[in-house]
Amino acid sequence: MTKKPGLSMYWASSCGGCEIALVNINEKILEVIDKFDFMFCPCLLDTKKKDIEALPDKSIEITLFNGAVRTEENAEMANLLRKKSKILIAFGSCSNDGCIPGLSNLYSAKDHFDTIYLNNPTVSNPGGIVPQRETEVPEGTLHLPEFYDTVRTLSQVVDVEYFIPGCPPESNQIWDVINSVIEGVKLPPKGSVIGAGTSTVCDECEKIKEDKKIDRFYRTYEIIPDTKKCLLEQGIICMGIATRAGCGSLCPKVNMPCSGCYGAPDGVLDQGAKMIAALGSILNLEGDLTEEEITGHTNKIMDSIPDYAGTFYKFSLAGSILKNSVRK
Amino acid sequence: MKIGVYFCKCGTNISDRIDPQKVMEEITKLKDVAYFETVDFLCAEEGKEFLEKDLKKKKPMRVVLGACSPRDHEKTFMNVLSKAAINPYLMQMVNIREHVAWVISDICKASDKASAYLKGAVARVQLHEPLKPEELNVCPDVLVIGAGPAGLKASLSLTEAGRKVVLVEKNPVIGGMPVRYEEIFPNMECGPCMLEPMLGDVLHGDNSENIELLTLSEVVEVAGYLGNFIVKIKQLPRYVNPKKCIGCRECIEPCPVSAKNEFNCSLDERKAISFAFSGGLPNFPFIDDKVCIRTKGENCRLCEDACIVDDAIIFDDKEKVIEKNVGAIIVAVGAELYDCSNLTNLGYGKLPNIYTSLEFERIIASNGPTEGEIQGFGKKGPRSIAIIHCAGSLDKNHIKYCSGTCCQSAFKFNQFISKKLPNTKIFHFFKEISVPGKETFQLYNKALNNPDSMFIRYRNINEIDVSIENGRLAIHYSFSSGKRCKSTADMIILCPPVIPSSDTAELGSILEIPADRYGFFEELHNRVDSIQSKLKGVYLTGSCQSPMDIQNAMNQGLAASGYILSGLPEGKKLEIEPIIASVDEERCSGCRVCNLVCPYKAIDFDEEKAKATTNSVLCQGCGTCVAACPAGAIKGNHFTVEELLAEIQGVLT
Repeated sequence: MTKKPGLSMYWASSCGGCEIALVNINEKILEVIDKFDFMFCPCLLDTKKKDIEALPDKSIEITLFNGAVRTEENAEMANLLRKKSKILIAFGSCSNDGCIPGLSNLYSAKDHFDTIYLNNPTVSNPGGIVPQRETEVPEGTLHLPEFYDTVRTLSQVVDVEYFIPGCPPESNQIWDVINSVIEGVKLPPKGSVIGAGTSTVCDECEKIKEDKKIDRFYRTYEIIPDTKKCLLEQGIICMGIATRAGCGSLCPKVNMPCSGCYGAPDGVLDQGAKMIAALGSILNLEGDLTEEEITGHTNKIMDSIPDYAGTFYKFSLAGSILKNSVRK
Repeated sequence: MKIGVYFCKCGTNISDRIDPQKVMEEITKLKDVAYFETVDFLCAEEGKEFLEKDLKKKKPMRVVLGACSPRDHEKTFMNVLSKAAINPYLMQMVNIREHVAWVISDICKASDKASAYLKGAVARVQLHEPLKPEELNVCPDVLVIGAGPAGLKASLSLTEAGRKVVLVEKNPVIGGMPVRYEEIFPNMECGPCMLEPMLGDVLHGDNSENIELLTLSEVVEVAGYLGNFIVKIKQLPRYVNPKKCIGCRECIEPCPVSAKNEFNCSLDERKAISFAFSGGLPNFPFIDDKVCIRTKGENCRLCEDACIVDDAIIFDDKEKVIEKNVGAIIVAVGAELYDCSNLTNLGYGKLPNIYTSLEFERIIASNGPTEGEIQGFGKKGPRSIAIIHCAGSLDKNHIKYCSGTCCQSAFKFNQFISKKLPNTKIFHFFKEISVPGKETFQLYNKALNNPDSMFIRYRNINEIDVSIENGRLAIHYSFSSGKRCKSTADMIILCPPVIPSSDTAELGSILEIPADRYGFFEELHNRVDSIQSKLKGVYLTGSCQSPMDIQNAMNQGLAASGYILSGLPEGKKLEIEPIIASVDEERCSGCRVCNLVCPYKAIDFDEEKAKATTNSVLCQGCGTCVAACPAGAIKGNHFTVEELLAEIQGVLT
């Protein structure tokens, strides 16, 4: 019997949703186990880090790495799995673009510790104790991995072969990728996004799209949208226009705006910046307006968006061209 | 990749401030830079010769030029590259003169900045693609909409150059407004006499066979682009055969019905079969089917019975839709006057003897409703006539601008009235006087020196109140001091501003050309390109672009035909600049964000494929859609995202 190719999955700074998305392929997981030696997945299996360390380099065929790199431990595991894997796949939005953990880049590590351990109404910490990398106890020295000042994406830390986007990636897309490996389909060039489309969510959205001129934006609770029409045209910020296709337009289908979890489409460098450029193009500024009136009107429209980073960069702040240069 | 860099000293313009040696040391460190040449004057004949020879000898794959503004010499150097058999788009020109040498005095800083810019160019030029202009067959024929002074001038000059013109006029007569004026300012020439030779040339001149005149016609649909427009024109039935009718007028008298004559501002009536006014050309009548009793089921044939030729009257004439293929469109639809009934305080439409300037033009015209007589005041005429200038202009509640022609009309009336009615006093109520140009002031002087005229400057048109007192018109007004005063007149002439005609907006949407904030058609640039609309191949002439006098309208008509003769050469192919945007169908999701952003109407939406498309003829390469496209599906040639990023990175490293 020939040896089955190895498959591993690891979670770094993540929520566990990616693992759930994997097992959501349901009974097909049996086929995965049949074709692969599923050797490492802390969420599902009992193998340990030392088992991986003991493997020869490049002995794992595919590693699905989800989660962003927040701590020294995340980086250590990223490096280890890089070394041991032939194909390292950034799996899910956190490892692709930083996702929700990436939004913490608006604050420094110290800001976080201050908020979490010191200046928090539900915390009583009279000694002002915050996590230390090394703590002396009678038994010796305790070590904690470093909590980095910024969250990084996987490819900002190690070399990555492929990217599967989504928060989480859709199970059918995951299966398509695994199945194509099983069937021996030729792999795309290194650096490609797989398990997703190349265009945008609008391609998969069946709502009627017309010319767009927006007078104001609504938060979802402020409006009952016409369910047949494009949500963006109705003033709801739907990120679908600047988000990679692949999810099957899940959120717009149920009349919730896309929040952008599949990241930027092919050809777009920065999802948030692109979205803002697109919105700037469809604001209704027609009529006899002076320069001041245009500024005033634009500011008024923009003021109706309470959280720019959380709206435009909800999933992509760490991976954006802003990278880690913006702090609140 | 082998990149050649040339540094132009521009005499000492550049090299005084930027050290070529220092820049060379920096730039030649770059991996792909094969050589660095310093030249005294790259744009001089010797410079160009050197460049051509050097390029032929060294055969670089890409070229970077550090020199002046690309606005000065990009084309010059592109031509040199072409001569050296290198695609001209494989060059990047860096403006180290205006952007660096002329604005930085410190030689070290200037040299560093020049190096940074050149590094950006070296990084970007590697990604340049060889581009080729697209070629297109063109239709040389021209559609002219409107047969007033601008449209007539354009039609005649185009046909003189051998072009074919389709001239569309919505009225039954041509000549626009001035043929309805007895006298034309500033030299008080007879309007119809001045225009008649032109009208004659259009109807039966040397080149008239090349003018297809369609009266009672309107453009209803336009598709296509410069060089190839498909136009649909709706022509209403005239019920009179122009080939048979001899214009004898025998048919008019017997007609049993009549209605208000809008060509005389409804001051008199015309028959169901009639001429717009006497002397109107082309010289044959039309039947107004809204008035004719045949359309109400009666079998009246009185006009036909009176007709002295056979088959000149065609009762079963039908509305037609005519399709034409043209290469360019000249819009010359004119304008109209602001509705004076909006100025309720002036009594227009409610009180007697208050006329607009246009109504007065018709009253004093010998082919008008009263054959040039001011009636109703006995032999001596009215004791006094008040002319109110700026009746709605320069006023934030009405029209904000000054038309620049109404004062001239007012002073023309002054002369006319004094000649015709020597005993009549003339009051000029004005807010401002506008008499620009080398001739108009004489009109103004004549009015000033006229012992029967009086000038009164009022503060605000909205403060003027007109009422009837003792059977005469009482005009209450305020001076600038606020003091109220009263004058009495027997007749008032209101001079309202010129505004876009009521069908401007509709025609604009048919042609897809935008209007400005006042509703006039918007020019490409208000100083350097006021003849071109925002849509390539559609030209704006006459008062549909801005209020103007006949001289300007004629000039614009001529300018538009010049544009067409030079820009749409007959028999030649049109070369289209390759720096344009294109849509990658694979990436386009049909979200329609880009649909409305294009200022040149170059973006269309293919409903069937649900994809955006760009039109390479209309596209000017501005990049607005490239920035707007959230899917990254639109590529701007020569300014791709990759090229721009490489340039930025090059500058920053």
